[in-house]
This record gives sequence, structure tokens and C-alpha cells, in this order.
Amino acid sequence: MEPDEVRSLVRAAAGGDGAAWKAIVERFSGLVWAIIRGYRLDAADAADVFQTTWLRLAEHLDRIANPERVGAWLATTARRESLRIARASSRTVSADEAAMAGAGYIDHHSPEQAVLDAEQAMLDSERARQLWRAFGALSARCQQLLRVLMATPPPSYAEVAAALDMPVGSIGPSRARCLDSLRQMLTDNVSAPL
Amino acid sequence: MLDEPNDTELEEELRRVVTQVDSVPAVLVEAAVGAFTWRTVDADLAELVFDSLVDHDRAALVRGTQQGRMLSFQASNLTIELELTGTGASRRLIGQLMPPQRGSVDIRHARNVITVEADELGRFGADVQQAGPISIRFRPDPAIGQAPVVTDWVTI
Repeated sequence: MEPDEVRSLVRAAAGGDGAAWKAIVERFSGLVWAIIRGYRLDAADAADVFQTTWLRLAEHLDRIANPERVGAWLATTARRESLRIARASSRTVSADEAAMAGAGYIDHHSPEQAVLDAEQAMLDSERARQLWRAFGALSARCQQLLRVLMATPPPSYAEVAAALDMPVGSIGPSRARCLDSLRQMLTDNVSAPL
Repeated sequence: MLDEPNDTELEEELRRVVTQVDSVPAVLVEAAVGAFTWRTVDADLAELVFDSLVDHDRAALVRGTQQGRMLSFQASNLTIELELTGTGASRRLIGQLMPPQRGSVDIRHARNVITVEADELGRFGADVQQAGPISIRFRPDPAIGQAPVVTDWVTI
């Protein structure tokens, strides 16, 4: 989608055009989701952050300084809101869960582990499972970057930079380094019992 | 950008896996499309300027006296301070308008709107048991003749 087209959509939506809003949502949902999931939030938290990001844009439509950069605006908002909720993870922990965690019962059923287990079950080949396992063993930063780069449709480098809060110039080198690590993990894992 | 040929191949493989396990749930895209109907066009926007979860410097100053999450929203003529205390079923929202004034406060939360009244000291409160996006819309006393104010949405 060209910058001119994005700008027109934002302006039309600000004027009340619901179809334009829908087009914006469809264009950038993949990017917003990839950013949020990079923080390994559980399903409920991820859904809340996703909805908050879109609600916030709806209120800001006629206040965005550079409408053609709405993708970067969404990326920044999704990153900040994910970070907030990652830090507030205790918000949904019930007293029972807190007590169990304190007693050491909950270690094997952390939200992160549950997410990984559910994802593993969806993959149909051993190679795919291996790749996903290796991906899960990457540094948090590499997982965040690669998830955003894998978003559908692929984001612009300006959007990736906003999503990761990093300079545009370091995206290429970081990407190459993260893919290197991933390849290394795969090589190591092939011989290791899983 | 120069690519190792293997990088592109590995990336394509990873893209297939990510798409398989972690595409955006359709129900969330639908909800995001629906977010448009929550838009308020006649109101001033109060932007989030402080959140004790992430703004450590100021949070350190109040840590001794506050245990909940503090949020502050700033519009041109009004500041809305929120404090969230407790967890789960006992969680409560306490609000303060500055300058203090009476008016109606719509708490937009969990796909619902709860309306409470701010007293003459600008205080209001409500139970907010569910997690999820929240935003406050303040409607000043009609005698004052000021536009309503809505806060940025935040996730609680």
C-alpha cells in the first residue's frame, strides 16, 4: 500500500468512513499482532492490547501528524502497550494462582509454556516443530524482530523500526544475526534428544 | 539489503510456520473493525502522560504512599487522575478531576459504559473487575458550557 493511499484512508476514516477504517485495520492487523505476540503475552492479554491499540487509533485519527505513517504510529502504540501489560502481568493472577506459584506448583504451566505447547500442537511436520522450538529458544529480542519481519503483509522498515524502537540502519544486520542464531539452534537441535 | 541466499530460504520457512501457528485471530480483527463505533468526535482528548507501571522516576517519588497503579491524562483544560487498587473481584477505580468539579463520568470498559457522578471535589469511583481496555469520558456540568473530555484508551 502506497503512502498516499494510507494517508487518504486515514483522512477518510477521520471523516467517518467506516470502509476506510476497515481497510486500515486489515492492512495493519498483522503488524500489530506480531508486535504484541513478540512480548509472549497470554491470549487474553494479547487480545486486550490488540483492542486497546485500535481503540486508541480510533480516538486519534484526526490528530495524527503524519497520516501516511499510521503504520509506525500503530507499531509504537502496540509496543508501548505490550510493555505495560508485560510489566503488569500480575493484573490477572488470582489469589489461588499466586499461592500456587508461591508453592512452586505453577512452574510447568506458565502462560508462556502453555502458549508454546498450544503452538507446537498446530504444526504438522517434525521440521516445522523443530523450527518453532528453535525459534522459541532465541533471545527475546530476536524473536520480537523476526516476528515483526514475518508479519503479513510485510511491514516497511520504518514500521519495523517503530515496532522494535531501533534505528532503521540496524534492522538489516540484526536480522542477519538473528537468522544466524536460528540456523545454529537448528543444527544443535538435530543431534540433541528433544 | 544484501541477503545470504540461505537467509531468504530460512525466512520463508519461518514465515510459513509463524503464519500457521500465529495469525491474527479473525474475531480480534472483527473487534478492531468495531472499535470505530467507540469514536467520539465532539470531545477534547486527554492524553496519557503518566503511568506508574512504566514511568519509574515519578513512580519512585510516590511509591511510599501509593500501592495501586496510577494513571494521569492531560487535556487542555482538565487533568484526569486514576488509581487502580486491588486485584480481580476486589479491584476498584478511583478518579480525581483537576480542577475539581462536578459532572458525569462515563467509564467505558469491557464493552460497557458505567456512568457515575463526580462530586464537588471532583472525585468519582467504581468497581472494575474485568481486565481489558478502559477509557473515561467526562461530561462537565452543562451550566459550564465546556466540551466533553475523553481519555486515551489503556489496558488494565
